[in-house]
Amino acid sequence: MGVTVHAQGVSQRGFIEMSGNLYPQIVPDDNAHGISEVRFRYEPKWQPKSWLTFTASVEERVDTHRQDARTLQIDWNNRSLRRPTLSVRQLFTAFKRNNLTLSVGKQFIRWGETDFLNPTDRFTPRDLLTVVDQDVLPVTAARLTYTLGDNTLNFVWQPLFTPGRIPLVNERWTIATETSYRFEVGDLGSKFPGRSSFGARWSRTSAGYEWSLSYYDGFNYFPSLNTTIDPALARIAFSRSYTSLRLYGGDLALSLPLLTLKSEAACYTSPTNKQDEYVLYVLQAERQIREMQLVFGYSGEVVTAHAGVQQFLGERGFARAVFGRASYALDANRTLTLDVFMRQNGGSALLRAGYSHSFGDHWRASVNYVWLNGNANDFLGQYHRNSFATLGVRYSL
Amino acid sequence: MNKAICMVGALALLACGACPANGQDARQIMTEVQNRTQSKSEHYEGSLEVINSSQKISKKRWAYDRLGVYGNSRSELRFMAPPDVKGVALLVINHPERASDQWMWIPAEERDRRIALQDRASRFFGTDFSFEDLEERDIDQYDFKLVGEDTLDGAACWKIESRPKESKMSQYTSSLHWVRKSRYFLVRTDNFIKDRLIRQIAYRDVESIEGIWTALTVAVEDFTRNSRTLLTLAKVKYNLPMKSSDISRENFRQ
Repeated sequence: MGVTVHAQGVSQRGFIEMSGNLYPQIVPDDNAHGISEVRFRYEPKWQPKSWLTFTASVEERVDTHRQDARTLQIDWNNRSLRRPTLSVRQLFTAFKRNNLTLSVGKQFIRWGETDFLNPTDRFTPRDLLTVVDQDVLPVTAARLTYTLGDNTLNFVWQPLFTPGRIPLVNERWTIATETSYRFEVGDLGSKFPGRSSFGARWSRTSAGYEWSLSYYDGFNYFPSLNTTIDPALARIAFSRSYTSLRLYGGDLALSLPLLTLKSEAACYTSPTNKQDEYVLYVLQAERQIREMQLVFGYSGEVVTAHAGVQQFLGERGFARAVFGRASYALDANRTLTLDVFMRQNGGSALLRAGYSHSFGDHWRASVNYVWLNGNANDFLGQYHRNSFATLGVRYSL
Repeated sequence: MNKAICMVGALALLACGACPANGQDARQIMTEVQNRTQSKSEHYEGSLEVINSSQKISKKRWAYDRLGVYGNSRSELRFMAPPDVKGVALLVINHPERASDQWMWIPAEERDRRIALQDRASRFFGTDFSFEDLEERDIDQYDFKLVGEDTLDGAACWKIESRPKESKMSQYTSSLHWVRKSRYFLVRTDNFIKDRLIRQIAYRDVESIEGIWTALTVAVEDFTRNSRTLLTLAKVKYNLPMKSSDISRENFRQ
């Protein structure tokens, strides 16, 4: 990282991490109780001039469950169903001139204000291979930022579509009914959009509050599933396609004497009428009490038009719910966290308890337990047999 | 020691141009303390040692940049070590008449987030600094009283008490400042809740850098936890040519 606004030169960081997930229960198509993974990430940065920065991030990952691919091909597009063994997470150049910044290349572009769910964050596809451990994916894009006083304008052009990742077939996070386990599943592949995506965001930061308005014209990074069932051959075949969507959104953060309020909402429309139209919104309140941080809120959804297509819900699957998070810093090296999610109709619930402890300058160990419960017809409840514990050890470079 | 003082909780006072003479009142003294340490911008690299009640030591390093004058400045603090938190950064935009706005950049999440800081007594990253100690404070939000004179490390000092006005939200009921007479330099601040001493901040190893007296060591002792933090400053520079866009949310994310 460039450690100061004046620092020029090379900096770097990274880590190697070993982790293991332990599942007490098996599911019909996956009898593994344990999955382990090794991950290595290296992130150099070079700032030869104060106005010019090169940033890179490469990652290598290998697991025991083949959620990670086992080919040594370097993945640029991030379009694979599995996580790539070798991937370029970031490779971009940033040019800065007065109030203008232009970033070109593979990068993370995060929009939004809230924490649990970001309805306006469309340039960051999610990796939901393990549905409750969400990761984010970079996109290949050009981003122009213009700052004038308290106002910032963002324009993003994404020429190459990057899909989100959904659970793999024949794996414990697959979305499948009990009967479908008896069918052979055929994957007919994905059809990716040909045109580019565009987005614009105007944000304003003032003393005690900030807000933004955003617009996105592009595609849903989660697929519509086109499925054909042949009962005679006991075969299900499906393909993925990515429907176009437009988004009109905004967010607001307000610091009050007792609480900080954050909200974010987006109205999704479908120019081709091939996906639902809906409004996603989040209302969130935060408060810091000494070393404890408390967050609680509600994520809601209003469907304005049903398209009648089968679609992976993605972030919509986490709407219509209350959520909360408490984190407590025991000291400089130890932290306790507790996350709670509960669907408003009681269809599903998630509880995640975590403990993290750093040792010396480089080592950090963490233990988490995720408890899941719910009904089979609920997006999250269907994974009620997937409660798991995670043990992880990280060495930071 | 300019903003090094200000950053760790010495009174960052709005300049009013008053020049005190002998026998001046406490406000004049504190104003002069500020005037003598004022700079348009500042940079330093800080090394932190947090020594807890079990005498375990944890170390951190950060780089600090500040642009602007007391009460109306913006600053960025970015951790350089340990590797576990390398790249984590804090952006603080101070306002003269209200609490500062703060954001934290967490590289692992690739995003910044506004920090809810209703409780400014929270410790900063496990150090003995509270977030309030890191804020710049406005002279107009405090009442001052000269309570006596003292000798600290062989130097004659004024003892000045400050109390936040009713409109000011502060964890501290009062603070006691030791100001070295010969340099109008703040050498120690004791912070109290009611009559109980909570936190003591001492400024040591004073050097003149670019004509500004600067403490290169700041020692904080938290008496409620029986722990202490030593901040050592290096590569201190003042009045660097910075623009507001250098310390901004956009730059912060880079």
